[in-house]
Amino acid sequence: MTETDSTTLRCPGCREARGTLGLLSILRKLKSTPDQEVRILLLGLDNGGKTTLLKQLASEDISHITPTQGFNIKSVQSQGFKLNVWDIGGQRKIRPYWKNYFENTDVLIYVIDSADRKRFEETGQELAELLEEEKLSGVPVLVFANKQDLLTAAPASEIAEGLNLHTIRDRVWQIQSCSALTGEGVQDGMNWVCKSVNSRRK
Amino acid sequence: MLWFVWQYVYTCFLRFWLKWFLRQITGRCELQRICANCKAGAPRTAKAEHSLRSSKSTVLRGAVDVKEDAVENCVAQIMKEKNIKEQSDPEFKVRLRQCLMQISGYNSLYVSVEELRKQGFDSENEAHEQMLLKLWNLLMPAVKLESRITKQWGDIGFQGDDPKTDFRGMGMLGLTNLVFFSETYTSTARRVLSHASHPKQGYSYAIVGINLTEMAYSLLKNGALKSHFYNTVPGKPQLQHFQQLFCYLVYEFDKFWVEEQPESIMEFNLYREKFHDKVKLLLLDPSITLILTVEPKN
Repeated sequence: MTETDSTTLRCPGCREARGTLGLLSILRKLKSTPDQEVRILLLGLDNGGKTTLLKQLASEDISHITPTQGFNIKSVQSQGFKLNVWDIGGQRKIRPYWKNYFENTDVLIYVIDSADRKRFEETGQELAELLEEEKLSGVPVLVFANKQDLLTAAPASEIAEGLNLHTIRDRVWQIQSCSALTGEGVQDGMNWVCKSVNSRRK
Repeated sequence: MLWFVWQYVYTCFLRFWLKWFLRQITGRCELQRICANCKAGAPRTAKAEHSLRSSKSTVLRGAVDVKEDAVENCVAQIMKEKNIKEQSDPEFKVRLRQCLMQISGYNSLYVSVEELRKQGFDSENEAHEQMLLKLWNLLMPAVKLESRITKQWGDIGFQGDDPKTDFRGMGMLGLTNLVFFSETYTSTARRVLSHASHPKQGYSYAIVGINLTEMAYSLLKNGALKSHFYNTVPGKPQLQHFQQLFCYLVYEFDKFWVEEQPESIMEFNLYREKFHDKVKLLLLDPSITLILTVEPKN
């Protein structure tokens, strides 16, 4: 696996502000242990909004996004401490490759298109399979009920029920409604991510 | 650092005196010298554009944003401003007009491409739906589409059972490009699709096409395609010229992908960037023309 196509934002003093959504601000909230990598994995069906979320986090333009072939990765680094966010394409054909990216994952973010009711069942199945994965056992999971800017979006509570999230016992989990397009709710979700990474590393 | 100092000194002082000196000995201004000495196409138009852009005169600077229908008037104004008599340099007017047509043409091509990109694919729009079905029929003439929503779309490289969500940020620009390639170079398109359908080294034909539309669009937007269009289209480039460039990218990307033998589709972005760098490098050459060398209908 290569990282040559990653965008690396280096920030030696790490004092500049890149907006509240920025990856650097997330990195700052994490308990820093030098030479350590925090690894966040973004998964979900195609057209869920994973790449838009990633670009939103990296403060990049989100107006010309195209379907992800393979994966995208964004990294930020500060004083030897590194945060990597992996966004893996969601089309059925490449879901078998998801497992290649499980190792050493600190938090799984599962992105759902809340307006695509026809595929709730499919997305639920994929999530259930992920939660069974040995390499992901105990990994905190944040479900983003994305696309809340659409009128037809189902509320997070309905999605949580549909996915039977309350039956998850082997890890901490959270569902957060958001719109990767407008950024609403993303910060709250990422705060939870930081909190759960920090408490796992205690 | 030294380079910046030099750039500053050059643009602020030296360039002016150099131009003044050359004007004295040749009796011609910079624009006249460019139009007389540089080869038609990017060597001439790009230099003229740079000269206009760095001019102290607002008339000349404004010329790089001129609209097509104001070119004639703009040429007259420039000649008046620079005190150039038509009789003393008859070629100048014709050449400058052509440069301005190319410069304004590039800008208006971007406007029309952007318009098409912003138009999202709409299932309620009959024309959009017809175009999508046309793409299927061009690529898979022997296979009938079972229904509008079907897994079969995956066979030409869409992600799910309804392609409408795959156009995303490229909107109708993505679809029209795919249809143009399949219609103009039908057998080439089918051959590319067959490479893409390889079980191990394949890729998703349609969404890679949409991704390459994004590449073409970004290159157009940041001005990287200027040399190519100045060299290949004598006047104003049209949408079809942009689509021809897209065909070049799809064909060349496929060739590159097959030659490089990536391990799997997961390496797509790595090879896409390599290919992108290759194209950007080619575009730095002022004599570049990115032309697909297969005959139409082939």
